[in-house]
Amino acid sequence: MIVRAIAASRCPRCQRMVVPAARHCPDHPVAMESASVPGVGEIVSFTTLHSPPEGFKAPLHIALIELEGGARLFCHGAETRGIRIGSSVGVESLDNVFYFSHMSFADRARLFWRRAGAGGEKVASITKSLAKGVWRGRSRGDS
Amino acid sequence: MTRFGRRDESLPDLIAEAALAALGDAGIERPDALVVAAMNPEEFTGAGNYASLINTHLGLSNVPALRVETATSSGVAAVYLAFASIAAGFHRTVLVVGGEKMSHVPTPRVSEIIGRSVDPHERTYGTTMPALAGLITRAAMHSRGLTLREMSQVAVKNHANGARNPLAHFQEPVTLETVMESRLVADPLRLFHCCPISDGAAALVLTSEPSSVRIAGIGQGMDTMAVRYRADLTSFRATQAAALAAYAMAGFGPERIEVAEVHDAFTPFELISLEDTGLLPAGKAGRATLDGETALDGRLPVNPSGGLKARGHPLAATGISQIVELCWQLRGMAEGRQVAARVALAQSIGGLATNNWVTLLEARA
Repeated sequence: MIVRAIAASRCPRCQRMVVPAARHCPDHPVAMESASVPGVGEIVSFTTLHSPPEGFKAPLHIALIELEGGARLFCHGAETRGIRIGSSVGVESLDNVFYFSHMSFADRARLFWRRAGAGGEKVASITKSLAKGVWRGRSRGDS
Repeated sequence: MTRFGRRDESLPDLIAEAALAALGDAGIERPDALVVAAMNPEEFTGAGNYASLINTHLGLSNVPALRVETATSSGVAAVYLAFASIAAGFHRTVLVVGGEKMSHVPTPRVSEIIGRSVDPHERTYGTTMPALAGLITRAAMHSRGLTLREMSQVAVKNHANGARNPLAHFQEPVTLETVMESRLVADPLRLFHCCPISDGAAALVLTSEPSSVRIAGIGQGMDTMAVRYRADLTSFRATQAAALAAYAMAGFGPERIEVAEVHDAFTPFELISLEDTGLLPAGKAGRATLDGETALDGRLPVNPSGGLKARGHPLAATGISQIVELCWQLRGMAEGRQVAARVALAQSIGGLATNNWVTLLEARA
């Protein structure tokens, strides 16, 4: 999976990011600036519609995803098996429709190194969060 | 109000049935003004210019009439407009009527029409009302500990209440197993967690003259049309703001409320609404429901009418019908399901909680 940039808008007043690009911030009647965010995010929630509206095939998988930077967007997916709230997913736009997909181990590793390349601070914070995860895992094991 | 359910009458006839009953009850033949609530009469019935259509149909063609629409909370928006026009001194007596007729339209078409109250971009993903409610329900199960049993018990309770209400769409009790094993609509929401498609109308007369029940407070709250713009899925900012405004106007808080009608279009919404209005502490509404606290004989009866789930949900009639039920409760006229209460709360959700209302009613001594 290749992480592609997704077109977004940023409010000059409150810095809120929205996807897809929009003219106005929902909270401020000012013109938004164009921005872009990487197509990587976390599942906020998801559902499967068993009687979808006209023009869609059942079962219809829909997820709400929060991208890095805070913008949320609706996506379709091929399946929701193995997906949980909080799962990392990749997001791609095909013909102006967003799709989410599982991130493989290789995808995550690529993402890690891409982020790590952005600066030492990020490496430190990622290392810290990994260490915390290990620590939590251990304390859970003890109890 | 009329009986809710599948009705053969036209929408103007249903509205007339409710309006004439309310005028008769109030002992008034000709109100000073008329406010009509209808959400999608153009699409469902093909008629337009609805305020004029209704005032002529009622034999009140020279009475000033307006139509109000805020999606599924249109009924309360109409009550608000009538209340405000009386408070401003424009009128002394206003008739509020609302109704919807949609059971004659095929269900997919009904879903599509109601679904137009969802953000246009989000709709292109197939996010109908049940889809968004499914997303919210899953998020609430994850972050608030909502359980399938809790949200199913809401349906059991409301069907039990509906069985005592001769005007309810569903008058049959259901078991917890039936609810929990009904077919999946929008995972994890099942069929019996969702309200039906109903026809019906409801009406109220508001007056500046002394009467047995007064509106102590009424508040409106808003949220973004787009669900993707919201930071929190599992509580509704619009209800919280509406409740704050209503309590501020009334000069009292949730501790005085003894009975409530809330917008259970999907049963988890009843639990979210009870917490958003402050009637129950955050995260406790599910447990309270399982413990029977919100049942007809509980500490705080909720949806004694059966709620949207069992009384039915004819869109623009719903907000008015909640207040009608509470007036009957406060006046001791809710035969078969009467609770002891002097102060009541109604909460109504417009769209996917974009335009919500809280109304507080108090019985006069």
